[in-house]
Amino acid sequence: MIRSKGRTRLLTAVALASGLTLLATGCGSSGDDGDKGSASKGDGVLTVWAGSQTPIVANFNPYAPTVLHAALGGVYETLFYYNKASAEAPTPMLGESFEFNEDGTELTITIREGVTWNDGKPFTAEDVVWSFTNDTSKPEYLASAEVVDPTTVKLTFTGPQFTNEFALLGASWMVPQHVWKDVPDPVTFANEAPVGTGPYTVQSTSDASYTIVANPDYWGGAPAVEKVQYLGIDANTSAESLLKTGKVDWAGMFVADPDALTADGRLGYINTPQDPTVLYTCANVDAGCAGAQTDVAVRQALNVAIDRGVINEKAFVGLAGEISPTFALLGRDDKWISPDVEKVSPQEANAAEAGKILEAAGYTKGGDGIYEKDGKKVELTLTSVEGWSDYNAAAELIAAQAKAAGIAVTASTVTWDEFSDSRQTGSFELIMGGVVGTSVADPFQIYRDWFSGEYTQPVGTQLESGEWNFSRYSNPTVDAAVNAAAATNDEAAKKAAYATIQTEITRDLPYIPLVINATQTFFDQKDFTGWPTEGDLYAFPPSWGSVSAGVVLSTIKPTE
Amino acid sequence: MKYYARRLTFYVITLWAAISLNFFIPRLMPGNAEDIFRAKMARKGELTPAMEKSIQLLFGSDDQSSLWDQYLRYWNNLLHGDLGTSITKFPAPVSELIGQALPWTIVLVGLATVLSFVIGISLGAWVGWRRGTWVDGIIPASTLLQSVPYFWLALILIAVFSVNLAWFPIIGGYDTFMFPDGPVATWEFFSSAVYHGFLPALTIVLSSVGGWLLGMRNMMVSTLSEDYITTAEAKGLRPFRVLTTYATRNAALPSLAGFSVSLGFVVAGSIVMEQVFTYPGVGKLMINAVQDKDFALMQGVFLVITVTVLAANFLMDLLYGFIDPRARHNG
Repeated sequence: MIRSKGRTRLLTAVALASGLTLLATGCGSSGDDGDKGSASKGDGVLTVWAGSQTPIVANFNPYAPTVLHAALGGVYETLFYYNKASAEAPTPMLGESFEFNEDGTELTITIREGVTWNDGKPFTAEDVVWSFTNDTSKPEYLASAEVVDPTTVKLTFTGPQFTNEFALLGASWMVPQHVWKDVPDPVTFANEAPVGTGPYTVQSTSDASYTIVANPDYWGGAPAVEKVQYLGIDANTSAESLLKTGKVDWAGMFVADPDALTADGRLGYINTPQDPTVLYTCANVDAGCAGAQTDVAVRQALNVAIDRGVINEKAFVGLAGEISPTFALLGRDDKWISPDVEKVSPQEANAAEAGKILEAAGYTKGGDGIYEKDGKKVELTLTSVEGWSDYNAAAELIAAQAKAAGIAVTASTVTWDEFSDSRQTGSFELIMGGVVGTSVADPFQIYRDWFSGEYTQPVGTQLESGEWNFSRYSNPTVDAAVNAAAATNDEAAKKAAYATIQTEITRDLPYIPLVINATQTFFDQKDFTGWPTEGDLYAFPPSWGSVSAGVVLSTIKPTE
Repeated sequence: MKYYARRLTFYVITLWAAISLNFFIPRLMPGNAEDIFRAKMARKGELTPAMEKSIQLLFGSDDQSSLWDQYLRYWNNLLHGDLGTSITKFPAPVSELIGQALPWTIVLVGLATVLSFVIGISLGAWVGWRRGTWVDGIIPASTLLQSVPYFWLALILIAVFSVNLAWFPIIGGYDTFMFPDGPVATWEFFSSAVYHGFLPALTIVLSSVGGWLLGMRNMMVSTLSEDYITTAEAKGLRPFRVLTTYATRNAALPSLAGFSVSLGFVVAGSIVMEQVFTYPGVGKLMINAVQDKDFALMQGVFLVITVTVLAANFLMDLLYGFIDPRARHNG
């Protein structure tokens, strides 16, 4: 009885509190409720979340690691745009065409005429040369860059550079020499009023957001969306609420239940899986790796013991894509997949097959159902970063699936620092990790950076910057094929080299492929049209995409 | 006088130790900023060779000098009021980042803490006074609110009041759509800030009022059984006077001491609240700095917190010595 009375009083208190709430709403709405709707919609302002968190600090220097998203593609542009969502040829931006010489040591670029910087000065071949040769941007392999004529630039390299086509043409920002030559330290320059050639110019920056406006003199024609506001948002859940309530119009982020957001029809949705999720295995005994996973038979058995369908369904809410053991992106890079290897990793578990592989390698099943060899059980520790809930869940599933196949896998979580440290130094057995997907329709970069013996270090030594071969895998056949592929621009020769690499890595499995991570994008299709769609994937859709976001911004239009 | 000199020396030494620890502890943590930054960029899939090069240039610049040299430089900069430059929020100076965040934190978290204290103490006094009646039901209700994880409570309130009913904004310290250029000194901005602060403040009060209430109620119950209360009642004083001047005044003393400590911690902000509401504040700077190994920012934030907590304690010490002469002699 006492309790229920208390509850009625509590109700009164709640009523009082909501009364106060109403009061406050009344105060607040007098000023902003009315025009808030129009501020984000009526006059065509596009509000974007590209992943920035508050406080936002003005930094539009394309060479700075903390550069704000709008600078890359919105203000600064590259010579060409490489669409990582499709296999089409690069789109000319500030460049018109390019050509390598026979052996790949010279690259001749023709640049677009009539382009001006947003301060009115013309964009020249000297600017291009400067953009390649300034202290911050100059690649080590670049011997010289020279102006051939006012619209032609020739780059000369120390060796064949076919494989750096994207880095040179699709990821080198064109900056104005007349501004940057006076900057003492280009890395620490904040560049708050950037001079670029892109479709937008920076209007203002505050601690909570920054705004860019259309560049009326853009070489591709002034963009139709006049104003774009980028917000700083600290939590994914807030971004989700803002999308739902119509406050954010374009965002690229993970949402477990995308249908709930798109239900009212305002938001369109596209999923373009890009980056592989794998099990890193410390694979190379010669480099100092220890543990059961150093035996290729154990890795092969694990590979078939895993139920990728279940992992995608349960850990990645069915949004991840299927992976190819060749690490070529299915759909986009199909032409590079050798016909002699499995195209897609098995989607279902096959414990019997796993057992067969282990038995053929001399393992016998112990009384507890776990395989052993020479008295040593096949026991492995699989770590994943605490708080990466999809990876944690996947690790648990893998542990259960492996156990069914007679492999004891213990899933445990570690902090980010431990994770980073263990993969950098090679002191691990299995890690749930990611592989960085390639920015062009060609898996080469993964083969070189993640699989070649030149991009790794012995266990105990930290990998150097640019080296990603955490597995310590080193195979002379792969290394030779990687070098052969790097030295040629001939498709048939490259395919042959890739086929060699694929045969080796699908057998050795230093990274056991799992799924391709979802890359989700939500966009306001009611107020704006022209977004990239499944049918017309003219650019990589997420709002955080570098270069591609500029392409999308200059393509979309407000609806009438 | 000797007491005050002793206290002062003690605090100076503590301050030196705290500031030194502030320098060394971050450097003993595993991992390094450059790796973290690289991996963060790589996870976004946009790590170009040029970007790698600039990360190297930006992070690798101060690795050469010895720890001792760094320590001396740290003190030198500190005495000149230079807290360094944040690496993750480059190129903002740490003092500017903290300066921007501190007013929001102090006003919102400070007001919420005071409100929570005042509400908790008055409700607690009342509940203790009316002990054994139906008002005891408030206690489980308020402690329930406190035991609910804060972020969950906040998310529920956002889902109900901000998303479904659209009464309150979802994020921010002010309306960034109306004020895209940042804070301005107008009445509209002020009211926007108040409006945006309401829900965050409400969640802090809801989740912390239970502790004050419970403590106060229990103190009240034991105070009410003291002889001087019986005497006061026997003298025929009005119950209201007994409640306020005799019981509440005495029962509130322990809570007051706790209150001074929690006021000192106000500058640390409310990490989860700032995260959930994207509210500008110090707590978020701190958590981001720790995660990304942004030493300069981390040290700056810790310094502000340490100094404030020490200052609050120092003031309390002085006050105690003033109120209670025994503390001066025995301390």
